[in-house]
Amino acid sequence: MPVGTDPVAVTPVAGQPAAAERPLLVASHVSRHFEGVRAVEDVSMDVLPGRITGLIGPNGAGKSTFLAVLAGTLPASSGTITFDGDDVTALPAFKRARRGLVRTFQLPSEFGQLTVLENLLSAAPNNRGDSLGGALLGKRYWKADEDRLVEQARILLDRFRMSAKESDYASSLSGGQKRLVEIMRALMLEPRLLLLDEPMSGVHPSIVGEIADYCEALRDEGLTILLVEHELHMIERMCNPVVVMAQGSVIGQGTMTALRQQREIVDAYLVG
Amino acid sequence: MTYYLTTVLVYAAVDILACLAISLQFGVSGIVNFSFIIFQAAGAYTAAVLSLPRDTANGGFQTYILGLNLSFPLPWIAATLVGALLAPPIGLVVLRRLRSDYQAIAMLVLSVIASLVVTNTPAFLGGAAGLSLVPQPLSDKFNPYSDGYLWAYTAGALVLAVVVFFIAQRIINSPYGRSLRALRENEVAAKALGKNAVALKMTVFVVGGAIAGLSGAILVGFITTWAPSTWLYPETLILFAAVIVGGRGNNFGAVLGALLVPVGFEEATRYLPPFGPPGLIPALEWVCIGGLILGFLWFRPRGVLPERRRVFAARPQPVVAGEPNAGRD
Repeated sequence: MPVGTDPVAVTPVAGQPAAAERPLLVASHVSRHFEGVRAVEDVSMDVLPGRITGLIGPNGAGKSTFLAVLAGTLPASSGTITFDGDDVTALPAFKRARRGLVRTFQLPSEFGQLTVLENLLSAAPNNRGDSLGGALLGKRYWKADEDRLVEQARILLDRFRMSAKESDYASSLSGGQKRLVEIMRALMLEPRLLLLDEPMSGVHPSIVGEIADYCEALRDEGLTILLVEHELHMIERMCNPVVVMAQGSVIGQGTMTALRQQREIVDAYLVG
Repeated sequence: MTYYLTTVLVYAAVDILACLAISLQFGVSGIVNFSFIIFQAAGAYTAAVLSLPRDTANGGFQTYILGLNLSFPLPWIAATLVGALLAPPIGLVVLRRLRSDYQAIAMLVLSVIASLVVTNTPAFLGGAAGLSLVPQPLSDKFNPYSDGYLWAYTAGALVLAVVVFFIAQRIINSPYGRSLRALRENEVAAKALGKNAVALKMTVFVVGGAIAGLSGAILVGFITTWAPSTWLYPETLILFAAVIVGGRGNNFGAVLGALLVPVGFEEATRYLPPFGPPGLIPALEWVCIGGLILGFLWFRPRGVLPERRRVFAARPQPVVAGEPNAGRD
C-alpha cells in the first residue's frame, strides 16, 4: 500500500528501487479523534524494513499522535495497523512492545529515580525475576538472567559511551543523555521497529549528530526505524522515504530532495 | 508493666506490617491506596468471626455472621487470604482505568463507604458497637492473661513482622521490584516497554492486601475487640505519614516510620500533662500528623531513610598479561 492513500493524493516514492519489499508495518486508514478534534485523519502508510522512514510536518500535524496510535499508547478511532503480517490494532501497548514494536517519547520519559543501568534493565524481557513468583523464589532463581542482562546493558552503555553514568540517577542526566538512555532502553527489548519521537529535540548540537550516527548504525544492522523529527538536515541525511503530515493527514512522501520540489509541501511545511 | 510493654510491641509489629504493605504499594509502586485500612479491617473481622462462637453463645449481646469457632491458625490464614482476595475486585475497579490522583480519591471514598456499610448493618459485623470477646489464639490451651502468653504472642507477632520484612526485601530487590519502580516513575513509558501495568499493580495490591489482612488478625487477636471506630479512614493517613517520614520505597524506612509515628509519636503524647479542653490533645495529634506529612514532603520528601540507589558490581577487569598484579585478587 502506498503512503497516504485516498483521500489525499500522494506522490510515489522518489528514488526508491521498484523491487517489492514486504512492509514491516502497514497503517491503513488510521484515524484518531479527540472529542471531535481530528488529530489524525485517514492516514495510511507502509514502513519498509531496514530503513529509516522520516515523518515530518509542522507542529500540530498529528505526527506524535500517529506514533502513539501505532505503538498502542493511544487506541485508534478507526483503521487498522498490521505489524509483520499480524493485525495489532486491538493489542495494548505492552503487547505490541513485546512483539518488537517499541517507541520513545517526545518528552523525556526516563525513569528518574532509577539509575541509568536500571533504566535499561527495566526494559529487558526474559528475566525470571520479573514476576511476583520469581521475586519470591529469591535471587538464586533469577541471578543468571540478571547477570546476562546486565552484561547486555553494559555493552549498550559502552556503545553509546554512557558507561561512566551507569550508576547515576536518570533524573540527573542532561537532556541529550536522557534521549540516549531512552534509545538504549528501547534497544534492550531487541525491537524490530523503533518509533523515535523527536529524539533530537532540545538536545545539544553535538549530541544531535551522535544520535543520527547511532540511528544510521542501527539501520545498517537491520533495525527498522520510523523517525519523527524537526531537524530537517538530519532527516535529509538519514531518512528515505520521508512522509509529510499536515493537519492530521499525509500530504506527500519521497526523498527530501523530491519533496522540496513540491510546491504544496513547501508551502505547508518546508518554508525556506 | 508486662501488659504495657507487650501491647506497645504488638502494636509495633502490626504497624510495621502495615507500613511495609503501604511502602510496597505506595513507595515502590506509586499506588496511593487510601483504602488501606479496610484491608486491615477485613482481616480483623475475618479472624474475629471465624474465632468467635455463634452469636447466640454469649447471650446474644452482639450479632455477627459466621461464628465458626475455628482454632488458631485458621482464622489468621483466612484473614490473610481475605485481605488478598479483597484486592482484585477493588483493583479492577480502581487501578485499571483511573489515573493515580483519581485512584486515591476513589480509594478514600471506598474506605468511607465500607465504614458506613458496616456501621449501619449490625447483623453483619456487629454494627457501630463492633465485636468483642474475640477469643485469643490458643486461649483454650494457655492462659491468655499470663505474662508468658503475652510475651509469646508478642514474639509471634514480631517474628511474623520479620518474615514479612524479608518477603518485602525480596520483592523490592528483584527485577519485579524494579518493574514496579519503573511503573511508579512513568506508567506510560513502562507500558511502551512491554510492562503489563494492570497485572503489576494488581499483584502488589494483592500482596499488600494479604499483609494488611494478617496485621488485622494479629491486632484483633490481642485486643479482642474490633469496631468501625478503630478503622476510620484517618488511620490510613497515619500509616502514610509513617512511610513518608521513614522513607518510601525502603523497607528499613517503613520500619523506622512505623516506630516513629504510629508507635513513638502516639505513645509520647500519652505522657503529656493534660491541658486545655477535653479532646484538645488528640486533636493536636492530628495537627502534628498533618504537619509531619507536609514538613517531610516539603523539606525531606524522600524520608529519613530514602530508597537506596542500586549499584551493580563492577564487571571484572580484563587481566593484562605481564602486569605485575596480573591474576591477583
